[in-house]
Amino acid sequence: MGLEVAVRLIDVRKRFRLAHHPVNTLKGALAGFLRRRYEDLWALKGITLTVEKGETVALVGRNGSGKSTLLGLLGRVYLPTSGVVEVHGRVAALLELGAGFHPDLTGEQNVLLNGVILGMRERDVRQSLDSIIEFAELERFRDAPLRSYSAGMVMRLGFSVAVHTRPDVLLVDEVLAVGDEAFQQKCLRKIRQFQNEGKTIIFVSHDLESVRSVATRCVWLHEGLVNADGPVEPVLEQYLQAMRA
Amino acid sequence: MIEDLKELWRYRDLVRSLVLRDLAVRYKNSVLGFFWSLANPLVQVATITIVFKYVLNIGIPNYSAYVLCAFLPWMFFQMTLSDAGESVLRHLDLLKKVYFPREALPISVALANLVHLLLALGVFFVYLLVLGVAVEPGWLLLPVALALQLALNLGLAFFVSALSVFYEDIRYLVGVSTNLFFYFCPVIYLSEQILVSEKIPQALRARIWEVYHWNPMATYLEWYRQLLLPRFVGKGIEDVPLAMHHLAIAAAISLVTLVAGYAFFNNRKWLFAERP
Repeated sequence: MGLEVAVRLIDVRKRFRLAHHPVNTLKGALAGFLRRRYEDLWALKGITLTVEKGETVALVGRNGSGKSTLLGLLGRVYLPTSGVVEVHGRVAALLELGAGFHPDLTGEQNVLLNGVILGMRERDVRQSLDSIIEFAELERFRDAPLRSYSAGMVMRLGFSVAVHTRPDVLLVDEVLAVGDEAFQQKCLRKIRQFQNEGKTIIFVSHDLESVRSVATRCVWLHEGLVNADGPVEPVLEQYLQAMRA
Repeated sequence: MIEDLKELWRYRDLVRSLVLRDLAVRYKNSVLGFFWSLANPLVQVATITIVFKYVLNIGIPNYSAYVLCAFLPWMFFQMTLSDAGESVLRHLDLLKKVYFPREALPISVALANLVHLLLALGVFFVYLLVLGVAVEPGWLLLPVALALQLALNLGLAFFVSALSVFYEDIRYLVGVSTNLFFYFCPVIYLSEQILVSEKIPQALRARIWEVYHWNPMATYLEWYRQLLLPRFVGKGIEDVPLAMHHLAIAAAISLVTLVAGYAFFNNRKWLFAERP
């Protein structure tokens, strides 16, 4: 059977400008114009990577190695400085759940808003409304303003909306590490369900246990480059060895 | 730009939801909330009316109706620009996480303020009934006036929202300059006063009248007044019908501002999330 490409990156580089003075003011801009005092920070220095449909790829690496930047590029939050980023199918990002929620709106209103922010049509969100709220176990709080929710409840709601957007490619940034035990189990079950449905998952995690239990492939990023790429165990071993050194 | 517009169309539900959220939050989901938001313009207009009627004795019957008729669209202009300054900044956290057409933010701000103006105009018509002022049939052209002012507001909102991300002073600059700009627009005075002012030499009046109408807001506020209210009657001052070429200038400036603003915004919108 021919393999379908879900994600393709060709020599992707990403530069951020690191400023050493406040640039977000006119005064700062003027100072910066007179003497350019910013530093180029290359978060990604030439990544070439192909992910096939149905793979679950774990990105590992130290802080600042470019993992989140890579997810940002795949989620179209950033444009690459050079190179090609191709993503086939509908992308959903489970990055910091609950971004875009408003404390004054009720749970239901927030679900409707968050669903369309994530790119759904409103009637589709309305159709999934009951199951989103049921999955988050928040039926009783449906009409309560979000400010009366606990942090865990907000997280559950955010996760529930994101997984109901019917994505083809799911980007997950450290979400598995938050919430209580029961919630984590629930996340994990949902992720397994996505895997069974043949969806592509790319996730960042510092929790190597979840990498071992979920991923089918592991990519080790180091200072903006791919250091190792392949089956989970050998890559993790190399990674751990380098960390110990 | 065509591609951007297509993508925006795919996300039309987002724009609608953002508008509804803005209104729901502003009115705090309550009926009284709407009246609270009207309190500010009403109190200002009442103050202006008292000053003009009893202190400066302008001698025009129902002067408050003429002031309010210009003040509500002025609020649409001012509120759109001040909200635009925060529209992208307030959502930076979201922008760093989720893809969506960034222009949905300033557009929803402009549209929410348009809805607010429409609600306020509804109250304005009731106010006219109370004053016993007849509503002119010209209100049928109101949608055209609103659409042109929306184009101007939105075009400026694109500039303001994009610039505010990189230069935080812009919001203060916009606040100060709209306050100054207020006096270049016929809100608390009638533009026709230029033509009869004793302080301006007779020879210059027509020139200044023309230059004054390079300001599209001046033309629009005049137009609203003439569409919605009967011609005012005053001592030594005459209601001058809106000149077509003034309207053409205003429409052209508004549409150019809209297109230029959208292009400016689009050139920068994928850098917002990278703001240092």
